[in-house]
Amino acid sequence: MKPRWIPRCGIVFFALALLYPLTGLFSRVGPWRWDGAVANPTLSSIRVSLLWTGAAMLIVLLVGTPVAVYVARAAAKERLWWQSILILSILLPPLALGILLSMAFGPAGWIGRWLDQVGIRLSNNAAAFVLTQVYVSIGYYILGAIAAFGSIPPMLEKQAALLGHPPWRVFWRVSFPLARLGLAVAFSIAWVRALGEFGAVVVTAYYPSGMPVQLWVNLQSFGLPAVMPLLLVFLVTALPLPWVAHLLAQRRPHA
Amino acid sequence: MLDAQIFKRRRDLTIEVHLKIETGGSLGLFGASGAGKSTVLSCIAGIEQPDRGDIRFNGVQLFPPPLPLHLRPVGYLTQEPHLFPHLTVSRNIAFGLDRMPTRSENGWLADLCTSLRLEDVWNAPAARISGGQARRVALARMLARRPPLVLLDEPFAGLDRQLVRELIEGLLAWKDNLGFIMIVVDHQAHILERLSSHVAVLEQGRVIQQGEWEQVRAAPATDLLRKLLAPL
Repeated sequence: MKPRWIPRCGIVFFALALLYPLTGLFSRVGPWRWDGAVANPTLSSIRVSLLWTGAAMLIVLLVGTPVAVYVARAAAKERLWWQSILILSILLPPLALGILLSMAFGPAGWIGRWLDQVGIRLSNNAAAFVLTQVYVSIGYYILGAIAAFGSIPPMLEKQAALLGHPPWRVFWRVSFPLARLGLAVAFSIAWVRALGEFGAVVVTAYYPSGMPVQLWVNLQSFGLPAVMPLLLVFLVTALPLPWVAHLLAQRRPHA
Repeated sequence: MLDAQIFKRRRDLTIEVHLKIETGGSLGLFGASGAGKSTVLSCIAGIEQPDRGDIRFNGVQLFPPPLPLHLRPVGYLTQEPHLFPHLTVSRNIAFGLDRMPTRSENGWLADLCTSLRLEDVWNAPAARISGGQARRVALARMLARRPPLVLLDEPFAGLDRQLVRELIEGLLAWKDNLGFIMIVVDHQAHILERLSSHVAVLEQGRVIQQGEWEQVRAAPATDLLRKLLAPL
């Protein structure tokens, strides 16, 4: 029998290396700065991020779930088409996506021109912030949700229907409970993706600044001591949801 | 009464059958693997759609147009039990009842539970019971709604003889009590014979012989059927 301690030491070393960047939180950067010039915009950025990312996630959930159900139940060829479009949306580099969004929804774009005429501007405001968050995260949610719904044997849903349940009740009583952990993982990945988005948001919605943009502003304007409090809040708000969702998803379902 | 004309083209087979069963009657669908028996059942259940045809049951048009699954008066037991793994056995069985079971429904469910020997697993998660138990739970779930049309696709595959004997006796008793029409697919003639005195033999998607079992056994229409009926 091969000694188990050699690979175990290797994986411990790898895990330590992976977690090593977190030790940065304990670096000596001098006393953390939390005066009015830092505190007010920092608190505002936390409010903006949580509120408007929450709104974006609601849209992602309401739009993405029915799309995922449709794609998961589509024939293999059709499913491949839709998935390739979704993958394209998540492969776009964030900065490029931000530039494209500002052009498409700005006065020069088709929809942007029309919105401009009715007095709606999608630049440097909450609507632009939410729109960008939706674009950067919805592909992640839908792809995860497709996998979650796709793992349910279609015959289970058909049996539920044959037992007298209309489609919405089949979804609520069979599809959703069986897909819920996969959906939670997909949702949390979308959440962390949207909350941490910098490249696209910095182009479309520099104001109102969310946490990532404010981190950048604090770093540029005041240096590391002004970054640390927000960095801590950022990690505390972004990490627990996906972390717990992943841990739950690792449990054997229904065991 | 069930009147089903089904035409369905598959890659390797064209199915063209016409079945008629009187209220309270039963029919065994017999034939070799790949003859199209399960597809016929699946078309009547509504899981698959025929390319053309006409399926009517007690005045209700099942096809065309395809009646949505939840409106079909059909109980369909497939080869796999397809239990809802996130629910307990009792919740699986009561799944087709619209609301909380009434006292009389509770009595009916208790009767099913006792007859199918499910008392020990009544509150167990469906994902944790054995294959034989799952099969019995699926049967109880289907019967709990008292469907007027019961479709059974190899309902006893992989079960031990004693259990099969008990389930057949149970099914026949419930059929007498509830008066449902029953169609059973199986490739074991002795099982079909116990469940239904009438048989329709399918070969290459077509009914090649239909009638009482004695008639079919006495004069099988094809060599293949003769071989299928011959003892091992």
